[in-house]
Amino acid sequence: MPDIVLRQVNKRYDRDGPDAVADLDLTIGDGEFMCLLGPSGCGKTTTLRLIAGLENLSGGEIAVGDEIVDSRSTGTFVPPERRGMGLVFQSYALWPHLTIEENVDFGLRLRRMPKPERRERVTRVMETLGIEPYRDRYPSQLSGGQQQRVALARMLAVEPRVLLLDEPLSNLDARLRLEMRAELKRIHSAFGTTIVFVTHDQWEAMTLATSIAVMHQGTLQQVGEPTDIYDRPANRFVAEFVGSPPINIVEVEGPETSPLVALARAFLETTRQGRGEIASIGIRPEHLHLLDPNEPVAGGAFTGPATLSALLPTGGSWIIELDVGGSPLFMSTNRPPVFRVGDSITFSVERDAVHHFDRNLSRATTTGAPKEKVSAGADTDTSPRAAK
Amino acid sequence: MTGGNFTAAALARSGALRSADWRYRLAVGWREPTAAIGVLLALLFGYLIVVPIVTLLHDAIEVQFGDARRAGAEVGGWTLHYLERAMFSPVAGDLFWEPLRHTLAISAGAISFSLVVGGLLAWLLTRTDMLGRRWFATALIVPYMLPSWTFALAWRTIFKNRAVGGQPGWLESLGFTPPDWLAYGQVPITLILALHYTPFVILLFGNALRRFDSQLEDSARMLGAGPATVARRIVLPMMLPALMSATLLIFAKCLGEFGVSYVLGLPVNYDVLATSLYRSIASRQSGVAAVIAAAIMLIGVLSLLIDARLVRQARRFVTVGGKGAMNRRSGLGILGLPALALASFIFAISVALPLLTLVLSTIMRVPGDFSLANFTLDFWIGSNLETVALRSGLLLTPELWLAAWNTLRIVGIASICSGLCGLLVGYVVVRSPVRPMAMFLRQVTFFPYLVPGIAFAAAYLSLFAVPRGPIPALYGTAIILILALAADQMPFASRAGISAMMQLGKEPEEAAQIIGAGWLRRIVSVVVPIQKGALVAGILLPFISGIRGLSLFVILAVPSTDVLTTFSLRLLDYNYTQAANGVVLLICAISYVGTLAAQKLTRTNLAEGLGG
Repeated sequence: MPDIVLRQVNKRYDRDGPDAVADLDLTIGDGEFMCLLGPSGCGKTTTLRLIAGLENLSGGEIAVGDEIVDSRSTGTFVPPERRGMGLVFQSYALWPHLTIEENVDFGLRLRRMPKPERRERVTRVMETLGIEPYRDRYPSQLSGGQQQRVALARMLAVEPRVLLLDEPLSNLDARLRLEMRAELKRIHSAFGTTIVFVTHDQWEAMTLATSIAVMHQGTLQQVGEPTDIYDRPANRFVAEFVGSPPINIVEVEGPETSPLVALARAFLETTRQGRGEIASIGIRPEHLHLLDPNEPVAGGAFTGPATLSALLPTGGSWIIELDVGGSPLFMSTNRPPVFRVGDSITFSVERDAVHHFDRNLSRATTTGAPKEKVSAGADTDTSPRAAK
Repeated sequence: MTGGNFTAAALARSGALRSADWRYRLAVGWREPTAAIGVLLALLFGYLIVVPIVTLLHDAIEVQFGDARRAGAEVGGWTLHYLERAMFSPVAGDLFWEPLRHTLAISAGAISFSLVVGGLLAWLLTRTDMLGRRWFATALIVPYMLPSWTFALAWRTIFKNRAVGGQPGWLESLGFTPPDWLAYGQVPITLILALHYTPFVILLFGNALRRFDSQLEDSARMLGAGPATVARRIVLPMMLPALMSATLLIFAKCLGEFGVSYVLGLPVNYDVLATSLYRSIASRQSGVAAVIAAAIMLIGVLSLLIDARLVRQARRFVTVGGKGAMNRRSGLGILGLPALALASFIFAISVALPLLTLVLSTIMRVPGDFSLANFTLDFWIGSNLETVALRSGLLLTPELWLAAWNTLRIVGIASICSGLCGLLVGYVVVRSPVRPMAMFLRQVTFFPYLVPGIAFAAAYLSLFAVPRGPIPALYGTAIILILALAADQMPFASRAGISAMMQLGKEPEEAAQIIGAGWLRRIVSVVVPIQKGALVAGILLPFISGIRGLSLFVILAVPSTDVLTTFSLRLLDYNYTQAANGVVLLICAISYVGTLAAQKLTRTNLAEGLGG
């Protein structure tokens, strides 16, 4: 199956309106499980609909392999029904007047497949997804999770070149969501289909995707493997969007009196980076630690005093809020904390894991290589890439 | 598709890049028949809606056949003669100003009465614990389902005096002669229209009250405002848009009201604009008729434009309601009984009494004589009666069945056409990528709503009375009725179609598209089956409003295309009171049953269902 290539893709809904998608360059490789991740309104669903052909371009082009399917400059537009893709909608969009079997069978009938063959394939797909017992029911008689499976089965039955999923899990409860996630992963390996998946849920993206494309305000921020996105964010937006609890950002150009700012500046002095280019630094909560008062400070560690202002158990782990001279700092830990709210403590930062963001482009660099450095994937683009 | 290629080829010379861009737009916009169907629909409704109205306006300033000497110009030349005659000549008072004054007086009376009574009832029904609330909520709406002149006939059955020949009214036979002012003219017309439009206020105002969040009142109370202050400072200002809207809509409807004024105004020469227009047409003064029709249209358009503007301004308030809207009912306490009495009284005089009167009138030999021997079913099913005409009961009269068949045929075909077109318009408006065309379709199909039916009928008459180009003269055929009725029903049909398509959303269709279904396949296998209910409702509801409609037919129908309404009016003109009342009762029954069936079928409530 060929790659899907988006070149300088632009989409505007109103002629004078803002860009829903701006100058997007993205390649989705064969067999990839690509996640489009971003907050709502970032253009990820628009991108998906552009790939499907349900929206038309304002500029740029989209190619599937060598075939250009959508291009303003050559005037080509291949309609959605001839692109051979599958799309699962957020609302499922099952046809209410057809039974489950008829819903799944619809695409095969269009392809004039002989009846016995059709029946065999429909049954197989429905069995794979565990909806075979409901074949004679109507969509309104099924639960949300079952409807979701029907929507998936309907698209899988025609064996599309590419499967597009528009936030398919967002309407499910937590447990079903976990099940469907495993299901999707299984389908991906079983059918070998290229999958493009839109979500605003970073957990979903992290656990499912082979690569993630982070979008913000219509522009692509970074493409890479999940660990890349997390460990080497291309800019401050990616760093802040990915991670929970979110990354701590300390502005270097803050007021002189703030101990955090002083700390950040002192830290920058010790690194080779010139202070002038760096506007802020970011520290992930798990890279902060509390020091035992009796324990000697490890050499080279970067420490500071704080008051423990809140302790939030999250079941098996803890989120701790520190007060550093009036500014909050969040850390997370798996070790049961020995301190109590109000205690004065000393925290330390893993110096190798601090992210720097520069003033103009918010381009991020990371002080040192993270400990569990992943070897670069064979064909995915692992280099952090920033747009604008 | 060939057209698209041809255009693309023609454009190719104007620069490669631009041509590619155009080709892209054509490929995207005109790839599917949606846009082509849109163009066809736009042409169709342009011809059926815009052209008649333009023709009518043109007739008002063009010298008509036979008027050359009076207008002082050649036939077909331009003239201000008709305008001057209708507005400024010595007969202008009778032709225009007097009817206008009457129309305004009647509207003012009907509006104030129905706002006060309807507003009070709406509040009782939605916000209090009045006994039998649910039952009254349906029962008080019934007058709106019946033709308004049902009540006029009932009134005439009771109050008719010797000013008109034929059988006497009940009061007359009981020895009391009602004075003319009570029997005919302004007083009964105003009262009947007021009762007829009260349900309208109940629906509009009641809906607004229902959406009103009790927490808004509670907040004011918490801050120390008494119930009167709350009503004056919080509730009333927020209800103002609904009130204004009801006022203007009732006014627009009074403007085109024909039946009631015809039945009760004629005996004392009490003319309103609609009946004056009818007289002008009947006396073949088509130029003057065009001026009057244009004036009615202008007033109608103006009032509805004002309404649209007010509604748009009122949207600022629409944050009201939504989530957490609580609708607390206040206890009436000692006022419960008077409230119940009021609701029952209104029900009695607006539904029970008129219908009962009509029913009784058709089974009594001598009006006003309530002895048992006087009752008979002869007027319904008798044969070889000792009367001069109509020697058999109504149900055995071939004319009735011809009228019924005509009604079914004409209204049925018109409703099916408008229902189907409505869904198509809805599809094109919601789906077409060619926005300006979608906008045009939306507005042009809504336009007849702004034009009172009688003026619209006059417009059809002036367009189709003579052959125009390839189209022969249609006056006297069923086709003109079907076309006029279908066009007149388009506002409702297209709104129903648009909202059905909006509700469907585009995803079910997109899912089919993704899986490989072309346009026709999607329409046949996805859109139409899902919209089955909406389609049936879109046909049934216009059908019901068409059955009880009068103003279009009274101008465009001839004896061979008599429908039930005009048949009943003709019987009335000949003073066959029982038969006329009987026909109206049949219309009422069909209309009522049909409305209920449509409601059941679509699970909509009356508020939405009564747009026609």
